[in-house]
Amino acid sequence: MSGTTRLPYNLRYWGMVTMAEQVSGLGRHLVDCEIKFRRNRQMRAIYCALRLIFPLILVGTLADFINQAWLQRSGYYYQTLHVAKWVFQLKLCRQYLGLLSAGTLGMAAILVAFAVSFYLVAPATPVIANRLMAGIIAIIVLKTLNVNRATVLNNHPVQWLSNNLGLSGILVGVLVGLLVGNGYRWLINHQDAAQHPLAQSVGGISLWLIVLTGLGFLWLKTQTVGLTAALLALSRWPFQLPQHLGALLGFGLLTGLCQWLGILGPIASVGGQSVQAAQNLTAVLDHSGWQVPHPVTLHTVFDVYAASGGPGMVLALLLAIFLVNHNVRQRQIGWYCLIPTLGNFNAPLLVGLPVLFSPLLLVPFLLAPLVCTTLSWGCLVLHWVPAAAYPLANGTPGILQAYLGTGGSLAALTLSVVELALSTAIYYPFVKWAGIAEEVVAHETTIS
Amino acid sequence: MKRRFRSVLVIILGLVLLCVPGFLWRPQQRTAVQATYRSAMAPVFLVPGSSATQNRFNALVAGINQKAKHRHSLLRVEVMTDGTLKYTGSIRANDTQPIIVVGFENHHDGYATIQKQAKWFTIAFQALQRTYHFNHFSAMGHSNGGLVLTIFLEDDLAKTKAHADRLMTIASPFNLEESDQNVDTPLFKQLSAGRQRLPKELTVYSIAGSQGYSGDGIVPFDSVNRGKLIFQGQVKSFTQMTVTGANANHADLPENQQILALIRQDLLA
Repeated sequence: MSGTTRLPYNLRYWGMVTMAEQVSGLGRHLVDCEIKFRRNRQMRAIYCALRLIFPLILVGTLADFINQAWLQRSGYYYQTLHVAKWVFQLKLCRQYLGLLSAGTLGMAAILVAFAVSFYLVAPATPVIANRLMAGIIAIIVLKTLNVNRATVLNNHPVQWLSNNLGLSGILVGVLVGLLVGNGYRWLINHQDAAQHPLAQSVGGISLWLIVLTGLGFLWLKTQTVGLTAALLALSRWPFQLPQHLGALLGFGLLTGLCQWLGILGPIASVGGQSVQAAQNLTAVLDHSGWQVPHPVTLHTVFDVYAASGGPGMVLALLLAIFLVNHNVRQRQIGWYCLIPTLGNFNAPLLVGLPVLFSPLLLVPFLLAPLVCTTLSWGCLVLHWVPAAAYPLANGTPGILQAYLGTGGSLAALTLSVVELALSTAIYYPFVKWAGIAEEVVAHETTIS
Repeated sequence: MKRRFRSVLVIILGLVLLCVPGFLWRPQQRTAVQATYRSAMAPVFLVPGSSATQNRFNALVAGINQKAKHRHSLLRVEVMTDGTLKYTGSIRANDTQPIIVVGFENHHDGYATIQKQAKWFTIAFQALQRTYHFNHFSAMGHSNGGLVLTIFLEDDLAKTKAHADRLMTIASPFNLEESDQNVDTPLFKQLSAGRQRLPKELTVYSIAGSQGYSGDGIVPFDSVNRGKLIFQGQVKSFTQMTVTGANANHADLPENQQILALIRQDLLA
């Protein structure tokens, strides 16, 4: 079906939806943007890839959640339910779950690179072998960027690295997938149709491999750090020791942006910050009162109050999904992600919805933590709530982090609940609009 | 509409339910945090033997730092007979494993002095703890220094609330200079009687020097060997080693390359 005949139909559908849902002017505009964005060929490939890997991310995160929160010493349930006393074969369970999460989450970047490249090439060719080969080349290129540099430069047997290929490598996976997919697509469109299929594929593949491995080698030769490590370092450098509101907000903004771009993972644990956290803890343990030398740190503001359900106040996003109750797929994803999100593991919801690369959802994803940070900062400066000093156990339910971090302050608990409600309100309209945009785009795909 | 609020209610109920263990556990939280909390800084205390001062280990620390990845800063403390402290050297900011040598103005030999030195060590330890807020440490004592540390661990460690990680004694005479195996000195009786108060999480290394087959020239081998009667079964692990060869006589042991390697490998690890 051609574009000109498709558009009026969609506009009609779009109009029906917006009338039924009473979307405001701003909402219409944002939904329009989101729909345009989602129609883009590159973005569609990325969304399809994220949708494809969602089950794997979910299983891996669940395994990781059980391991971290129930079976490790620093886990919330391990401590509060005294798991060590009653669980059967603790060590064996830890090892098994560790393997399970490494096998899924640990390969997220590879899977994304394969899938993005595959979905980019898929509309251009009916030959399945070509689509698969595009994905395979993406994997090879990603691996050439993740290689032990010294072994290559010294002519030793090449060692492949497996770090940086986890959740924090999704962005690199996407970039490699786009590069390879688009290149391969161009090659297919410009092939000489008269040639024998075998000659076509051998020629194309070898050309691409030689060019791309060359690019990888060039990076290796000139740069001392891996691509993913370089991106991670770049995202960390501006805010080493945030102690003022401005720096805290900047840090929150940057963390949110990185997560949205697919650098998931623990960016919040900045080196040097731990010194202040340790001094706070020592002060609290040494003295009977609750006096903390550094009331405003990343830990006391951002970790405790602005990360319910993981960075980005994702617990509020979950609540908003069920409050909107409009889009069946959103709700289903919400149910699947319920358990990890209640334990502050936000990856499945970010990938499944997806929040990653969605311009519409970026707004509340950045805004909600910023509002929470500002509010908590204000309350801390005015001494309405004590500063958290105790270490946070992994998997502590979002609203309980402040309460346990401050050793049982009800004011802190109240503040967390208020902030969760506020964040849910911030997410609500955007989740509604994202649902509409997705329905329109999905409708379009089914009729075309 | 109804279904919308039912789902939200289910999630909020689930959230509250998951919070219940946290609320129930909260009263035990302080104890739990205190038991598992370890400060970033874990100093290494060095205590010299009799007739040696706080400068005794300067060469040893230089030797350690030659091959160390991160240089250990060196603080020397001298405890005067009236309990006041004199400091030389300093601890670098962010050094998590500084070396602190504690020497004594009165560094004569003898049972009575060792008792006093143990009390003086406690004074220095508590003063340093107040300044640097560490709550765990390791220690090495040469000769009588090892005895001072053992008495401290038995009698005074509990009241400092610190955790002892590793202890290394080098040629420490747990039965003083007594060479008759059948005689128990008062010091040995004291250490043996208090051995149950030794920290259970402690790892102990006892090193003996050997020149000939009976001792290191000053301390009889049997006296060092009696460490097992004090530590074995009381602490997490107890390892005894004998060093022979060049520089194996009593006074040279801190400069012995084998012992330097053992300190690097076992005490500073």
